[in-house]
Amino acid sequence: MEENNLISGPISQKIISEVILRIGRYKDAGGNMLFLGQVRADETQGKRVKAIEYSAYTEMVNAEAEKIKRTILSEFGDVKSIVIVHSTGVVNAGEISLLVLVCSGHRQQAVQACSKTIELIKSNLPVWKKEIFEDDSHTWK
Amino acid sequence: MQVKVLFFGVLAEVSGTSIKHYENVKSLADLKLRILDDFPEIVHYSFRYSVNSEITDDEPVLKSGDEIALLPPFAGG
Repeated sequence: MEENNLISGPISQKIISEVILRIGRYKDAGGNMLFLGQVRADETQGKRVKAIEYSAYTEMVNAEAEKIKRTILSEFGDVKSIVIVHSTGVVNAGEISLLVLVCSGHRQQAVQACSKTIELIKSNLPVWKKEIFEDDSHTWK
Repeated sequence: MQVKVLFFGVLAEVSGTSIKHYENVKSLADLKLRILDDFPEIVHYSFRYSVNSEITDDEPVLKSGDEIALLPPFAGG
């Protein structure tokens, strides 16, 4: 799954478990940071978000995700691996649309690298989102 | 030369398409003018171009088979 960073629909508990199970392979890791981004039922101008529809430029996402991982690995020498999974398609409020897992030798870099990874995802990953409201109207973010 | 143009995010919605092929393209500058001619509404939106998945703010030389994408500001994560 590390090669393909996109998944259609919400990130299920099964996928989250599969990713977490991989932690044990890094015997020199002592701190693992998991971030789960959830679709929030925001209220805008009296309308509540019921879902977000994500679209992505697939080839560029995979290339950029690899660049992000290389950047993080070179900036944080204690980090052993990074997993990024981002949803495409419709994800309902309350469901998970982003997973970032950082395995590190120690806690400090696990936390910092995870935070930096999320920032880089937000700025560099060619993903777009359309908020769908309860009245089925939508707006692009 | 022949190139493929991809529209993403809000641009796919306003243009009504996610992909369009262009023939007899002379350059990226020429292609940009033709895209705006075909889809004048996109001028109201902020976006960047990429060529073969690499964002470009200048005018690289195109070759036949290249993939050009119109990328609105990213909103992932």
